[in-house]
Amino acid sequence: MKIARTFTLAVAAAAVVLMTTPSFAHHSFAAEFDASKCRDFTGTLTKVEWTNPHGFFYVDVKDTDGTVHNWSFQTYALITLRRAGTSLQLFKDNIGKEVWVRGCEAKNGRQHYAAAGSLKFAADGVLRQMGQLQD
Amino acid sequence: MSARMYSGIFCGAAVALMCVHAVVVHGQGRGAQAAQNRTTEYAIKVMPPGGPPPRLPDGHIDLSGHWLPNSAGQGVSGRDGVDPAARRQFDPRATPEEKPAFQPWAEAKIKAMTPVELELSKSSVNCMPRGLPAIWLQNPYSTVIVHTPTMMAQLYEVLNNWRLVYTDGRPVPKDPEPWFHGTSTTHWEGDTLVVNSSGFDERTYVMPTGWFHSDAMKVTERYTRPSKNYLIVQITVDDPKVLAKPWTSAPRRWTLGNGEVYEFYCTNNHELDELGKLKDQESYGK
Repeated sequence: MKIARTFTLAVAAAAVVLMTTPSFAHHSFAAEFDASKCRDFTGTLTKVEWTNPHGFFYVDVKDTDGTVHNWSFQTYALITLRRAGTSLQLFKDNIGKEVWVRGCEAKNGRQHYAAAGSLKFAADGVLRQMGQLQD
Repeated sequence: MSARMYSGIFCGAAVALMCVHAVVVHGQGRGAQAAQNRTTEYAIKVMPPGGPPPRLPDGHIDLSGHWLPNSAGQGVSGRDGVDPAARRQFDPRATPEEKPAFQPWAEAKIKAMTPVELELSKSSVNCMPRGLPAIWLQNPYSTVIVHTPTMMAQLYEVLNNWRLVYTDGRPVPKDPEPWFHGTSTTHWEGDTLVVNSSGFDERTYVMPTGWFHSDAMKVTERYTRPSKNYLIVQITVDDPKVLAKPWTSAPRRWTLGNGEVYEFYCTNNHELDELGKLKDQESYGK
């Protein structure tokens, strides 16, 4: 039993090592956004820009002191969003509604600007990838 | 249990998995079969071969299709449940890709780039055309090929770029003008279409690693279609001013998709401004 469990663990560990694919040195979010400043945001979706090379969506987020700031979140290119099943209509249907975002702030100090890693519309609760996750 | 036994079990498991994995990703025919045999059920799998490739009226292989840069025949970025073998274009263990051997001055120039300079040099950031050969080496989006006996049109999703390759045997002029996709001449070697190109705009990068090129660069593309669903593209870069020896890519797989082709005009690029601020901060910190 113990051997079987150990074997399973070994297969899992080996899988992690062997299945690691070479990184596609394409476009590094890490150059522009700070992997040490990733956090969760909850707020109200206010706007979407369906543009390339990135889409943007905007969320009213309340600070701990109660101040509301309109955050801008960058997404993947639209081709990637569309092939993953995320459409403009989904965003339009959720304007004015609650969303949850995992995002990382800009390195250059620009305020209220972040790369979105993932997004959930409260309406359906589906976790959608919006960009490279950095943590 | 002894550490030695643990080690033995781990090695055994690794070897077993390596064997399965190698079979899955080496060669699309056996790969597809092995993928079906795997115990893990992925929603997005390695594409099956799909039967023999189509042929043009002149008997040559027809390279036409909507090609995706992976082994899945559909988008894989930003999606869950994707077989790792389906995500990639080649298996680095089965067909390792050599590292470019740079001339010392070129290596020094690349190493001197700051992280922000490197980022700003990327077509994916600055929206300059990828150009050849980067369009086949650093393009995560699809390419539509329309192939006739005298011409091959390549319609790239990325940046809505396109290229026409004449396959009627016309030669490259002595001093071709510098185009992003160069000027090409083609010939067939059996079922492989060989495209030789020269005359390149020097503003492009071969890879998003700072690998620049000179006006002397010559590129050879080798196209094969071993089965209906698979296009294999292998690139050789010969650039004696920058490279110590020619470099050849792994044979990279593209798979046949039947989904939509999307528009991609780069008209809302904030990155030059945002990275420009970071570059100022880099300069200030020096």
